[in-house]
Amino acid sequence: MIRKERIDRGIKVRSDDIYAISSYREILYLLLPRVIPVLCLLLLPTLLGSYYERVIIISCLMGLLALSWDLLASIGLFSLGQAFFFGVGGYASGFFSYQLGLPVPYSIVLGTVSGALVCTLLLAPVLRLKGVYFSIVTLAFPLFFVRIIESTKILGGTEGITGISPIGNSWIELYIPIFVFLFSLFGLRRLINSDYGIVLQAIRDNDRAVISSGINVYAYKLECTFIVSLLSCFSGAFMTHIYQAVGLSAFALDYSLLPLTSAVLGGVGTFAGPAIGTFILVPLSEFLRVFGTLRVVFYSVILFLCIVLLPEGIFPFLKRKYHQIERFVEV
Amino acid sequence: MLEGKNLIVFFENAIAVNNLSFYVNKGEIVGILGSNGAGKTTLMNTISGLIMDMKLKEERKGGERITVLGQLLFEGKDITDLEPHKRVELGIVLSRERHPVFLESTVEENLRIAACSRRPKESRIGIDFVYSIFPHLKTIRKRRAGFLSGGEQQMLSIGMALMTKPKLILLDEPLLGLSPILQKELVRAIKEIRDDGVTVLITEQFARPILPIIDRGYVMENGMLVMEGKGSELIENPEVKAAYFGV
Repeated sequence: MIRKERIDRGIKVRSDDIYAISSYREILYLLLPRVIPVLCLLLLPTLLGSYYERVIIISCLMGLLALSWDLLASIGLFSLGQAFFFGVGGYASGFFSYQLGLPVPYSIVLGTVSGALVCTLLLAPVLRLKGVYFSIVTLAFPLFFVRIIESTKILGGTEGITGISPIGNSWIELYIPIFVFLFSLFGLRRLINSDYGIVLQAIRDNDRAVISSGINVYAYKLECTFIVSLLSCFSGAFMTHIYQAVGLSAFALDYSLLPLTSAVLGGVGTFAGPAIGTFILVPLSEFLRVFGTLRVVFYSVILFLCIVLLPEGIFPFLKRKYHQIERFVEV
Repeated sequence: MLEGKNLIVFFENAIAVNNLSFYVNKGEIVGILGSNGAGKTTLMNTISGLIMDMKLKEERKGGERITVLGQLLFEGKDITDLEPHKRVELGIVLSRERHPVFLESTVEENLRIAACSRRPKESRIGIDFVYSIFPHLKTIRKRRAGFLSGGEQQMLSIGMALMTKPKLILLDEPLLGLSPILQKELVRAIKEIRDDGVTVLITEQFARPILPIIDRGYVMENGMLVMEGKGSELIENPEVKAAYFGV
């Protein structure tokens, strides 16, 4: 009788947090999967031309949304309203730039931080909710803001704020999103494996057990939400300055669904997964423009096939294949 | 009635059940004794077919690869690759470890859920049968299962297994975490179930309460059978005494 065997070809010596590196082969084995995507991301835009430069910027900003969705998911809060963070960040930076006339860097930083504070304050009362209840509340938040802006006509009403000053330098416009994206990707991957991140994961698994080991779950959730809001609000604030306008479309459902679908496509809880997912989905929707109105159909079919055929997600699958040799053995 | 030939179960590269051959005759109570991690629960899952489900899920997730080798015969038929729900139709029912019940439903609803594969009239008779074996369940039949004590949940869990009218009932550690009085009560019930014509295969870590009622017993260690014999023989055996009686 025959069965398939898996052998790890991973690092031979591995202490807690430090890799004991013994040879160039091991160093390469470790570095290649990290260095190649980073180099690609840094070099590709200069080769591809200005249209795809724009696609990469948008992918990075959407990637930030997806990363923050994944952080929220790793504490057990499945958000359906990433557009809420995105829109608040966008409107905040639009407000600082247009109404107060602040220069671009200040308006982005202030927009990010104040937007994050607003989001955290608004979400604070609902953080006690779990599962589908939290999802529903977050789904309602963007709609709530849209109606408020529509009816009170603050912040430009239905027309939004236009004529916001541009970033100016195209290099800054390109590389700031890329660096922030890479920094948050590797930072979050490190964070989730630190002691702090382990508590977050424990809260997702069993929050009562965490409470009974004397940890304030609510505080952890609040901090986590603040980090999430920072990342997503930055994405919104930057996008405002790229488009030089912010409108009600910043609260659109697309910005809520794209992070979710890319996380599911790439593999939830891995951070690299959502990142890969956005870098597949955003360019994909650009390539599919040739199909005109049928674009959404093809997009959905591809998404459907990926999720059915690879339910574990692209990243966990690739990771497994990279680390393991499989072979048949006789029993 | 049930026969396993050279059963081997792998969890990835770790072997959980190693070349196990055993048989269960009709109308017997057969005990499988072993410490934690001996492979008792895996064996139970293999017999009830739950392992097929676990295998499918893990494969989809890309998790651990589960391999089942060997042959399982039930009443002369090969059931090695049969899905778990079909095995229930054949009459093999598992009452799982740590008494899983539907916490939000009442006791009687739980029993009715368990009987959903049968006709309503039969389900009524089944409920009466369960109440006759566990009279205590009748007094608490309107209570939600989440508010029951561990022992009551265990009774309910065995009752739910009985609702499908099994020929062979697999009890996975039914005495886990129960007080000696409740253990005695359950042992009496198990005997009564056997007297009613249901064959019982039971796993246990603590041999003391069940050894007197079992007809035959197997002792497992690290996935392998190390000893087998009649219940009375096992009681006399010095090794079993040392390992499972703490003498």
